[in-house]
Amino acid sequence: MAKIPLIIDCDPGHDDAIALMLAASASDVFDLRAVTTVGGAQSVDKTFYNARRVLTVIGLDVPVARGAAQPMVRKALSGTEIVHGESGLDGPRLPEPDLTPCNLTAFELLCKVLEEAEEPVTICPTGPMTNIGILLAVRPDLKKKIKEFSIMGGGFYMGNWTAAAEFNILADPEAAKIMFDSGIPIIMSGLDVTHKAYVTREENEVIRANGNRCSVLAAELIDYFSRYHYEVEHLPGCTLHDPCAVAYLLKPEIFTGKLCHVDIDVNGQYTLGKTIVDWFDHTHKEKNVLVLHDVDRPAFVELLTTQLAKLR
Amino acid sequence: MRKIPIIMDCDPGHDDALAMLWALSEPEKLEIKAVTIVAGNQTLEKTTRNALRVLTFAGVHNIPVAMGADHPLMRPSIFEEGVTEMVHGQSGLDGPAMPEPGFAPKKMSALQLLIKTIEESEEKITLVPTGPLTNIAALFLVRPDLKEKIERISLMGGGAYTGNWTPAAEYNIYVDPEAASIVFNSGVPIVMAGLDVTHQAYITREENEILRQKGGRIAVFAAELIDFFSRYHYEVEKLPGCTIHDACAVAYLCHPEIFVEKQCHVDIELEGSLTAGTTVCDPGNYEGKEKNATVLYGVDREKFAELFIEAMSKLDK
Repeated sequence: MAKIPLIIDCDPGHDDAIALMLAASASDVFDLRAVTTVGGAQSVDKTFYNARRVLTVIGLDVPVARGAAQPMVRKALSGTEIVHGESGLDGPRLPEPDLTPCNLTAFELLCKVLEEAEEPVTICPTGPMTNIGILLAVRPDLKKKIKEFSIMGGGFYMGNWTAAAEFNILADPEAAKIMFDSGIPIIMSGLDVTHKAYVTREENEVIRANGNRCSVLAAELIDYFSRYHYEVEHLPGCTLHDPCAVAYLLKPEIFTGKLCHVDIDVNGQYTLGKTIVDWFDHTHKEKNVLVLHDVDRPAFVELLTTQLAKLR
Repeated sequence: MRKIPIIMDCDPGHDDALAMLWALSEPEKLEIKAVTIVAGNQTLEKTTRNALRVLTFAGVHNIPVAMGADHPLMRPSIFEEGVTEMVHGQSGLDGPAMPEPGFAPKKMSALQLLIKTIEESEEKITLVPTGPLTNIAALFLVRPDLKEKIERISLMGGGAYTGNWTPAAEYNIYVDPEAASIVFNSGVPIVMAGLDVTHQAYITREENEILRQKGGRIAVFAAELIDFFSRYHYEVEKLPGCTIHDACAVAYLCHPEIFVEKQCHVDIELEGSLTAGTTVCDPGNYEGKEKNATVLYGVDREKFAELFIEAMSKLDK
């Protein structure tokens, strides 16, 4: 089977880092052509740096580009250090980046990869959608070169930054709206599914016991990241939001989804950044999003554990 | 257990009617002090007539009924002839044959009846609104001092995970979001039976046949209400049974143990062009605001169905 041409657009971020590892571990499935970074979990300078540090550990010399520092219209959200720490990737020790430098901006790199692609490319955004919003707004001609978006963002049963909104969408609702309105198919790994995609302390020890460098790094990322989940969010484990967007592409059969119309709220007093999922098809609008709402959790953890073992 | 004195504020409506019957069936737990009516499932004239017909059919003539708001507090009414017909029919209570009302509503308004009932009560009153919240908001605007005589509000409305009129908003809240905002911000404890729980509180076709076969006139009447009401649930909403939304607000007062609840802050969205009327629930407490509502997130469905059937058949004894 032909490999899936893939771009990951991210803001590492602990769960972005694990998503990158999961994508890199499946080189038989993915042709990872670029990694673009965006401000979100931390400033774009930090997420750009973090992405390259993680890829250096993985040993994958893929072009990485720095993207938008600010949301398209609004001011950036603050307060993310409570989740990801000052560096955006606190916890494990990481080496300095050692990749072939890429002199393109995220916008330029996205355009280049799409222009050069012979078949449509899958894009996996796991941070705020700013780079994607800019791409689609400025170069709508490239839409036809995008097969689909498998995103981490949103959620219909609750938010995680405000009551109604999930962080990645709230961080740049206008960009998200451009993407959701683009007509390009979207697979949405929102909180509905990601809150079910958690790793318990015991399971994290199994990952650590793989013993290879990347598994140990993933376990250490989970050690740090899970503190927020246990202490602030009172969740039953470390919630691996972003890896869901990659895992779906790798093993869709472990996920359950429903095709729905989804709108993004951009002017609500309390609902700004909400993904409005038309679960019951009240509006009869085009069903533009496969909304994932469940995952076979043991299979997800098994996939992660075995894939991480394949890395360095 | 002491009886809970309640005022039912409703817009019957099939599920309002079933909620009212359920409340009547548990006289050892609930005492209906008054019924106030609001426009919602149908026009005010029709919802009033329906309430009177249901009470008459149940042989109850001594509960005061009064007519309330025929339009929302601030917004133009979304209510146009026909818009809710697909759910509740032309009468607002299509399906079973019913007698004409055996008594008339009080000459006073719903607002006056609410005030009088609350003022005269020695105990705190529990409000059970199962329609748009216009009457209750009017009460709090006019007589905020009476809030302290209200034990709590057990309402049907809203939903955290979905809407049923727009993708984000449930009908009762969507009709009059400002009224809902006044009620949710009133400081009076609120139990919210929204779509999260009411979509789980359904009666299957098989269960409705069990109800019908109880054979009494109320049981058969309830089964016929469900026959009509469930068509919308099966055909339009594709739900697995007849969703008895409003009955949850009553059932919670009688049988709180069968429900799963969570204390949350709830805001009512007023401005979003796609989200007006959304009950914005914060079960994760991300905003750290005061927890003003007990949101019902689940119910033991089989127990609910069993209790519902038992309640309907009890009235025939």
